[in-house]
Amino acid sequence: MSGLTTGAGVILKGNRLNARTITAAALLFGALAAGPVRAQDFDADATINIGSLYEPQNLDNTAGAGQGINEAFNNNVYEALFRLADSGAVEPVLAKSYKVSDDGLTYTFTLQSGVKFHSGDPLTSKDVKFSIERVTSAESKSSRKNSLKPIASIETPDDATVVVKLSSRSISLPYNLSYVWIINDTATNLTATEDGTGPYELEDWRRGSSLALTRFDGYWGTKPSNGDVVFQYFTEATALNNALLTGSVDIITSVQSPDSLKQFQTNKDFTVAEGKSTTKLLLAYNDRVAPFDNVKVRKALARAVDDSKVLKAVWGDYGTLIGSMVPPTDPWYVDLTKTDAYDPASAKALLSEAGYPNGFSFTIDTPNYDPHPIAAQFLQTELAKVGVKVSINVITANEWYSKIYKAHDFQATLQEHVNHRDIVFYGNPDFYWGYNNPKVVDLIKQAEAGTTTDEQTTKLKEANQIIADDAASNWIYLYPQIVVSAKSVSGYPVNGLNSQFFAGGIKKAD
Amino acid sequence: MTDMDLVNAVSEGRPRRSWTFTIGAVIVGLHLLVGLSTLFWTPYDPSAMSGGRLEVPSFEHLAGTDRLGRDLFTLIMIGSRIALTVGIGAVIIGGLIGITIGLIAAFASKTLDDMLAAGLDILIAFPTLLLAMLIVASSEGASLGTAIIAIGIANSAIVARLTRILAKRVLAMDYITASRISGTTWLGVVIIHILPNIWPTLLVNLALQFGLAVIAEASLSYLGLGAPPPNASWGRLLQEAQGTVYSAPFGAIAPGIALVSLVIGINLLADGLRDIADPTRRRRS
Repeated sequence: MSGLTTGAGVILKGNRLNARTITAAALLFGALAAGPVRAQDFDADATINIGSLYEPQNLDNTAGAGQGINEAFNNNVYEALFRLADSGAVEPVLAKSYKVSDDGLTYTFTLQSGVKFHSGDPLTSKDVKFSIERVTSAESKSSRKNSLKPIASIETPDDATVVVKLSSRSISLPYNLSYVWIINDTATNLTATEDGTGPYELEDWRRGSSLALTRFDGYWGTKPSNGDVVFQYFTEATALNNALLTGSVDIITSVQSPDSLKQFQTNKDFTVAEGKSTTKLLLAYNDRVAPFDNVKVRKALARAVDDSKVLKAVWGDYGTLIGSMVPPTDPWYVDLTKTDAYDPASAKALLSEAGYPNGFSFTIDTPNYDPHPIAAQFLQTELAKVGVKVSINVITANEWYSKIYKAHDFQATLQEHVNHRDIVFYGNPDFYWGYNNPKVVDLIKQAEAGTTTDEQTTKLKEANQIIADDAASNWIYLYPQIVVSAKSVSGYPVNGLNSQFFAGGIKKAD
Repeated sequence: MTDMDLVNAVSEGRPRRSWTFTIGAVIVGLHLLVGLSTLFWTPYDPSAMSGGRLEVPSFEHLAGTDRLGRDLFTLIMIGSRIALTVGIGAVIIGGLIGITIGLIAAFASKTLDDMLAAGLDILIAFPTLLLAMLIVASSEGASLGTAIIAIGIANSAIVARLTRILAKRVLAMDYITASRISGTTWLGVVIIHILPNIWPTLLVNLALQFGLAVIAEASLSYLGLGAPPPNASWGRLLQEAQGTVYSAPFGAIAPGIALVSLVIGINLLADGLRDIADPTRRRRS
C-alpha cells in the first residue's frame, strides 16, 4: 500500500489518479482544448451494471433480507432522515433540520419539502412515524431494533414535523435513524415491491439474477448522473471477475481476494480502488470460561500472534492492522496496534505468570469459508510456538449461529464482524463472547447518554482503550474494501460502510 | 474356476499379461511409499512457514508454497498418506459391512431378501457424497475418522448388492445342493464355495471403491467436512488454492495432479486385476 491510503480512499496502481481528479481535469481540459470536445464527459442516461455477490433474500430490510438490500436500496431507492455518508459522517437527508431539547429527550425533526414517493404520494410526518414503528415493531428482524429502544413515542403535530420522545438520552439517534428507511405509509407487499423517496425506483427484480433500478424523474434532490442501475448477482467470485473482464458489468462492489486483482491492475482498462471497510477479523474468546477469564492469558495470546503475517497471507498487500474493535473511520479510533504487539518472549512470560508455564490446549471453532480456515491454521502454528496447543473445529455458518452466538458453547472462535460502530457490543455482558467489565459497560452507557458528540467520543475512546488493555478479544486485522471498475466508470463510493453502495453519483463516459 | 486362475497367476509367478496392473501397481506403490515415508520424514515441517507467500516451484520448494508460506510438496506428500488411509479404511469398512449384508440377503427368506434389496437400492440411489455429508453432519464435528466411516458406509451398499447377486448365482449351482446333502453347514458353504468363487469379482469392485473413496474424501475435505486443518488433505489444499488460482495456479494444479494420479493408478490396478481374474479376457489376449 506504501502510504497510499489516506482519507476516504484512493485509487491504486492501475490508475494512479483519483477519479474525481480525472473528471475535474477532463472538464477543465474539455473547456480549454480545441476541437469538438463535449462539455459533459459522461453519458447522462447511461446504464450502470454493478456486479455483486450479495443478492438480497427479499426487498425489506426489516424482514431478514441480508446485507445485499443495503447495498442496492440504501439511498438509491429508499432514503432515511439521515444517511451514513461514504466518509463515515452522518448527514441529514429527509430531515431538513432538527432540534434537541435541553434534557436530550425530545428530538424535533423538520422534513424536507417537496419530497414525493415513487407512487406519487407526498412525504408527510405520518410516513416517518410509520417507518420508524415498522423497525421497532415486534415482527421486525432489523439488527438495529435494539438501538432504537430509547424511543418512547413519536408525535406528528403537522405534516412537516416529527417529534420523537425518548425514555433515555441517545446521542446516536440521528445515526441510528440512518438505518430506518422512510416508506410510504400506504405501501404494502414490501418484500417484493417498494415505495421510497430515493433517486431510483425499482424497475424489475429477477430473483437469482438481477435487480434493475431506473431514475425517478420526480426526485426532490440532485438528479443522478446516470439513467439506470442494474445490480447483477453472482454466486461465485471468479464468474463475477470474468463478467467485469468481458464488460457485462462495470463495477464489482467488493472484491474478496487480492489474487484476482492482478488481472485488473495490469490491465489499463480497469481501475482498482481501495477504501476503508468496517469488517474486522477477530479471534473471540469465551471470556466467561477458564483460562480466557484471565486477562494475562488473553494478553499473552495477543502477543504470541504476528498479525501482519496473517494479513499478508490472506490479503497480500491490502488491509490494515488494528489493535482493537474500532476501525480508523470511527471518530473514537485510537491507534492501539502497539498494545500487546507481537512479542512471543513476553507472551511466554505472561503465560507462566498466569499459571500456565507449559501452555494449555483449546479449540477454535472456525467457519468453513475463507479466510477463516487459513487464519485458524496460522494461529495454530503461532500459538504452538509459545506452548499453546490449538485444535481447529470447522463449522458452518448456521452452526456458528446456534452453537456460538446463541448457546455460547465454545472456547474461542474466529469470526469476521462487518458491523459499523460495533464497539458497543463490548458493553453487553450477554453478548456471545461474554466480556464483562463493569467500567466498559458504564462508559458505553454514558457515551450514549452524552450531551455532545465530543463527550460520546471521549467516553468511547476510554472504553476502547480498556478493551484493548484487557485484550478482550484478539483483533487480527481490518479487511480492505476494494472496488474494481471499468476505466470508463467513475464517481462510485469506495468505502464499504454498512455495505452501502450509493449509485447516484456514478458516471459513465460515452 | 476363476479364483484358482488368479491364484495361479499370482503364486506361480507366471508372467502377467496385464500391463495395466503393472502400471497401476507402480503408481499406487509410489503413493504408498511416499505416504508411509511422511510418518518419519518430510522435506519441511508441514506447519512451518518456510517460504514466502505463494512462491512458484523451485528447488527449495518443489511445488511452491501456499498463502502462509508452507511448503506445498510436504503437504501433498502428507496428502498421499491421508488419501490412502481413508481409501483403505473405507474399503475395509465398506467391504466388511457390504459382504456381510450381501451374504445375509443371499441366504435370507424371500421377504427379508426383498427388504434388504430395496433398502440397498434406496441407499445406492443416494449419491455417495450426500450420504457421507449426512453422516458427517450428524456426528460431533468432522474428523478423519468420521470421513472414513461415512465413505465406508456409503460404499458398503454397492458392495452388498454385488455380493448378494454373486452369492445367489453360486447358491443356484447343483454342487451347493450336493454339498448341503453331504452335510456341509451354511457357514461351510460360504467359506468353501461362495467366497472362493466370488472374491475375484469382489476384489476388482473393492479396488474401484478404493478409487471412489479417495475422490469422496477429497470432495468432503473440499467442502470442509473432511479431516480438519492442519490435516493436509488434497481436497482442502484444492479448496485453499481456489482463491489464488490466477496468481498461483500451481497451488491448485499440484494437489490436482496428485489426486488424479492416485485415482488413475487405482483404476489401472483394478482393470489389471480384472484382466487377470476374468478368464474370457485372458483368452482374448
